[in-house]
Amino acid sequence: MTLLVGLGLSFLGLAALCLSMARHHQAVWPGPPDRQRVLALRAAGWVLIALSLVAAIRLDGWNFGPVDWLGSLIGAGLVLIVVQSYRPRALLWMVPAAAAVAVAAALGSLA
Amino acid sequence: MAGRVVLAIGGGYGIAGLATALLSLTLPMSRAEAVTTATLASFAIMVGIVVVAFAARSLARAAAIVGGLALLLGAALWLVMGSTTGFTP
Amino acid sequence: MKQGFRQSMAWMHTWSGLVVGWVLFAVFVTGTASYYRAEISRWMQPELRREAAITPETLAASADLAVAHLQAHAGGARMWFVTLPTPERPLVELFWRNRPGTPPGHVLLDPQSGAPAEMRATRGGDFFYRFHFELNLPPLWGRWIVGICAMVMLVALVSGIVTHRRIFSDFFTLRRDKAAQRGWLDAHNVSGVLALPFHLMITYTGVVTLAIMYMPWGVTAAYRGDQQAFFAETGQVTRNRPPAGEPGTLAPVGPMVAKALATIPEPLERLSILNPRDANSTVVAVFEEPHGLSHQHPQVAFAGTSGTVVEVLSGGLRPAAKTFTTMVGLHEAHFAGAALRGLFFLCGLLGCAMVGSGLVLWTVARLPKSGVAAGFGWRLVHTLNLGTIAGLPAGIAAYLLANRLLPLDLAGRAEREVWVFFGAWIAVAVAGAWPAPRRAWRGALALVAALFVAVVLADVATARALWDDPAWFLGFDAALLALAAGFASISYKVARFAAPRRARRAADAPAAAPQMGRA
Repeated sequence: MTLLVGLGLSFLGLAALCLSMARHHQAVWPGPPDRQRVLALRAAGWVLIALSLVAAIRLDGWNFGPVDWLGSLIGAGLVLIVVQSYRPRALLWMVPAAAAVAVAAALGSLA
Repeated sequence: MAGRVVLAIGGGYGIAGLATALLSLTLPMSRAEAVTTATLASFAIMVGIVVVAFAARSLARAAAIVGGLALLLGAALWLVMGSTTGFTP
Repeated sequence: MKQGFRQSMAWMHTWSGLVVGWVLFAVFVTGTASYYRAEISRWMQPELRREAAITPETLAASADLAVAHLQAHAGGARMWFVTLPTPERPLVELFWRNRPGTPPGHVLLDPQSGAPAEMRATRGGDFFYRFHFELNLPPLWGRWIVGICAMVMLVALVSGIVTHRRIFSDFFTLRRDKAAQRGWLDAHNVSGVLALPFHLMITYTGVVTLAIMYMPWGVTAAYRGDQQAFFAETGQVTRNRPPAGEPGTLAPVGPMVAKALATIPEPLERLSILNPRDANSTVVAVFEEPHGLSHQHPQVAFAGTSGTVVEVLSGGLRPAAKTFTTMVGLHEAHFAGAALRGLFFLCGLLGCAMVGSGLVLWTVARLPKSGVAAGFGWRLVHTLNLGTIAGLPAGIAAYLLANRLLPLDLAGRAEREVWVFFGAWIAVAVAGAWPAPRRAWRGALALVAALFVAVVLADVATARALWDDPAWFLGFDAALLALAAGFASISYKVARFAAPRRARRAADAPAAAPQMGRA
């Protein structure tokens, strides 16, 4: 359950960082992002990744939390890299899906 | 390059070994803890020496750094061993 | 050499990676497989019937059975090891060390009857586990070779980080439309950088698992080389009780097991019985690790002749020792549940991909120009690359296939399986040396895929009647089919990329850049 929260949040964070780069932004939307958008995506990316670490530690403690967090970050990163190099536009539905998974798993682990 | 490779391997392991022995005897904690800490750190020390051996501007410079460090550690170890032979079991 | 820091690091990365790459690939593959060591063992002994629970009475009784068997068959041995039954593996496994020079003994017993278990002989997942750090060589040799390679790997990781200029801007980049070299470099970078925390952790902690063997000088200086005393003082093993030199009679172990179970709440894993016929014999009950990252087995030691407790070890390690056992624990990942274990496995696969793509990159970056024959060095590296990257998986598939196809009553069956493993590996490596490189890759990878499919077919055909939990076995087979699909798709990609790549290389051949990391 915790891993799902971590996977979802890390995926969102990494996706935001990825899309803040011109090359990857262009693969999904026409044209490179403007400056404001870059900054917003970067900020969102780092905040989400930080949030995934906080969530992992909150849910799994100081021993297992960081291990789970790194594991889910790497797993989410792999999925993201494969998706955005083979089917970049799939991100348009995968991002909301990841958000839904993260929220559902978070609610599930709190309940 | 061959010189650097030899220096990196021999010097890296030698310095790591000397540093482990020295730290094992001198770290301010119980004997078991000191040995454990020193041994855990030794591999990072070895990697550091290897990087230095390859990064130094010339082979002579690399050899001087590694040789100097080894001498320093060896001398310190010799002193420490001399002063502790009384009480180690 | 008047080059910059980055160039010398690039040189170091390229050559250190190449020299140890083949061994590292084998270590990564078998290590990754070892995350599922118990599952592989179970799949390779489909006769095994699991049980719902093992009661303390059964444990005590099977310990008594084990000792009776050892008294009868291994009386002269110096050490007995008894692995007690668990619900997952309801067997008693006996292992004993004889005098130096005589091979150790090993047998599996049925905990009910005490007779040897009716099960096909195999080394199961343990073969991969031991290969991971001993390479099937004499232990001392294997461990030193793997340790040296791991140290070089650590150096290659550090120099790789320095060499890679665009860690952040290329973090998500896997270019498929550019030249082959670019694609391989991207694959190498992505698999290396994405799982970098794992690679650094697994390499350093791997060296640490055998730290006292590789770096004994601290123990030499502070303990006069007495490793037993060192480990006992850190609280990781019970204190050594040297033999008295006079004969003694071992007290019944059943009551000791009962007492140990009452002392420690974790499941009991095994008994070690040292100097069993000496007046100063010792029985140590070793428990599974409590939930936590640290690799630290609680232990209860008994005086063998009287059955009184002489020492209880349970937690309470000091910081450095705790760090040490946590590093070992992280390496083994026994703590990981199914999902986290899956992620560790994935990271292991990324490690295999990093080493494999690095090896291939060396040859791709030095591809001979069209019309020029490849030099001996290039052919050698290519042959070793193919022999390792395709040969080892072929060997693994053949090992599993042999497990299903060799006659059950074959003498020395477990060793024959290992022969098949090496036979298939060598055969693929040798056969791959002759055809043109691209055809060789395509054929060898397709063969690996076919072998994994054959394993599944052989399993369904010969072992279906034995499955105690069909869904579990089908799941394992599905994982093998996924591996087969992976190899088939790589083989297909090699075939498909062949034509455009050659055309493009002919167009821009002169600038075949030997340095890696060139953007």
